[in-house]
Amino acid sequence: MSVILEVVDLTVSYNGTPALEDISFTVRAGERVAIVGPNGAGKSTLFKAMIGLLPIQAGYAKTSGAEFGFVTQRSMVDWNFPVTVHDVVMMGRVTKMGWLRWQRPRDREIVRRCLEQVGLLDYADRQIGELSGGQQQRVFIARALAQEAAILLMDEPFSGVDAPSREAILEILDRLREQGITVLVSTHDLTMAVERFDRLALLNHHLIAYGEPRQAVTPETLAAAYGGQALWRGEDYALVLGDINCCGGGRHHDG
Amino acid sequence: MADLLDLLLQPLRYPFMVRGLLASIMVGSLCAVIGTYIVLRGMAFFGDALAHAILPGIAIAYLLDVNFLWGALGMGLLTALGIGYLSRRSQIKEDTAIGVVFAASFALGVALLSTVQSYSVDLTHILFGNVLGVSQTDLWLTAGLGAIVLLTVLVLYKEFLVISFDPILAATLRLPLNALDYLLLLLIALTIVVSLQTVGVALMLAMLVTPAATAYLLTRRLWHMMILGAVIGTISSVTGLYLSFYVNVASGAAVVLVCTAFFILAFLFAPQRGVVWTWRRNRQQAHPPHHRPEPVN
Repeated sequence: MSVILEVVDLTVSYNGTPALEDISFTVRAGERVAIVGPNGAGKSTLFKAMIGLLPIQAGYAKTSGAEFGFVTQRSMVDWNFPVTVHDVVMMGRVTKMGWLRWQRPRDREIVRRCLEQVGLLDYADRQIGELSGGQQQRVFIARALAQEAAILLMDEPFSGVDAPSREAILEILDRLREQGITVLVSTHDLTMAVERFDRLALLNHHLIAYGEPRQAVTPETLAAAYGGQALWRGEDYALVLGDINCCGGGRHHDG
Repeated sequence: MADLLDLLLQPLRYPFMVRGLLASIMVGSLCAVIGTYIVLRGMAFFGDALAHAILPGIAIAYLLDVNFLWGALGMGLLTALGIGYLSRRSQIKEDTAIGVVFAASFALGVALLSTVQSYSVDLTHILFGNVLGVSQTDLWLTAGLGAIVLLTVLVLYKEFLVISFDPILAATLRLPLNALDYLLLLLIALTIVVSLQTVGVALMLAMLVTPAATAYLLTRRLWHMMILGAVIGTISSVTGLYLSFYVNVASGAAVVLVCTAFFILAFLFAPQRGVVWTWRRNRQQAHPPHHRPEPVN
């Protein structure tokens, strides 16, 4: 598969202090990448810098012409806002429609198809606040699909979402992979990242490790990402090690 | 029936009443449409501050003996941009920036006005509006500027929806987020300026916020909220004006009180969101009836 996203020496500052330094990695089309790190490691910052919401000090993030779709973190949105599920997905079409234009039948057809893909067609006319957390997350995936984005950036899509909804989202991601859509997900869930993703980026201001999950996650890289203190609390450390050195499965450690 | 009709028609014999009614209808609907963004984006304090900050513009226009609309317009645009800039570019929090600018320019306005002989009468009109003093020219200006605002909202409906609901999506879509934000501030400023004479500085916030908030409780799509808000704003304006004609209370105050009555009704009885509805639902959950259908997913 061809390279779809290339990040080279990316440095981003937040109010004068560097939040990300010298981040470099490449992603191939259709890959599913988990970005893991402690709170404040710069996971959201990385996404925001890529879409141009934060200024980049040095380096660059370049796509092969593919468009980013952003799956917003649920806590960033007012769920009482007077919009229906259909309205939200239609927002993905705004720049495709262009200035001074209204939605055309084609746009409505695309929105319908995207809602179908995430299994929410029956909810099209609901106000968004009436949906469950997992369904809300799927609405945003549909919105990125309506935008015809080839790279999905998902900011903490699994936080505050129950296990069945998490599986539903992962299933949708499986289907997107078949369409060649690349997905970058930021998450706290190290076990899931190791088990369900093709690539894992361990992030804490620097990119500590990147690659095949089981190779990227070692006691050394974990200690570098989460700091000795968090990991040397005894049992947690043992659990993490056990998970990674053997064959996966079992309990997970959450950052 | 004939009596009622007479009751409604009688005020229309006075040209100043007709002009007042026309102005109220325009202002009532315009404020509600723009107010939708103010309510949804949590900009009530900004709107109130902007209305007050316009005072020196009016005072200067008054001293120079030009139509006060021009002074208000200049000052309104200046303040909107100033607040937008301050809150973005400095370490000061947005509400503090607004507070500083708002109080300072209001003080400047009062200082300027106090140099004039008829100070107290003028200040009262500016603070509480003087809808019955609306001239033919004012009416045309209101209509013209109001049409510009509404047309902009219509043309940029989908863009304003995105920046209000999810600015991060706006950035992803490469929409000019800052430019659209500033444009919205300018539209709010324009709306306040053309509404000043009808409702006045002190009651402006109610016209911007109350009809839109009432509509918010009753609708679940943005354009529904705008249209219902405009209807509520218009009905309140007309009703308020008739009230002030027959009961002889200040027109601006009457309009705002009618608006507030609508809001209280919606707050109590709105389906799904009203206090009564929530109370009944909680009661039903505490004591479920026997044949309760399974909730859908």
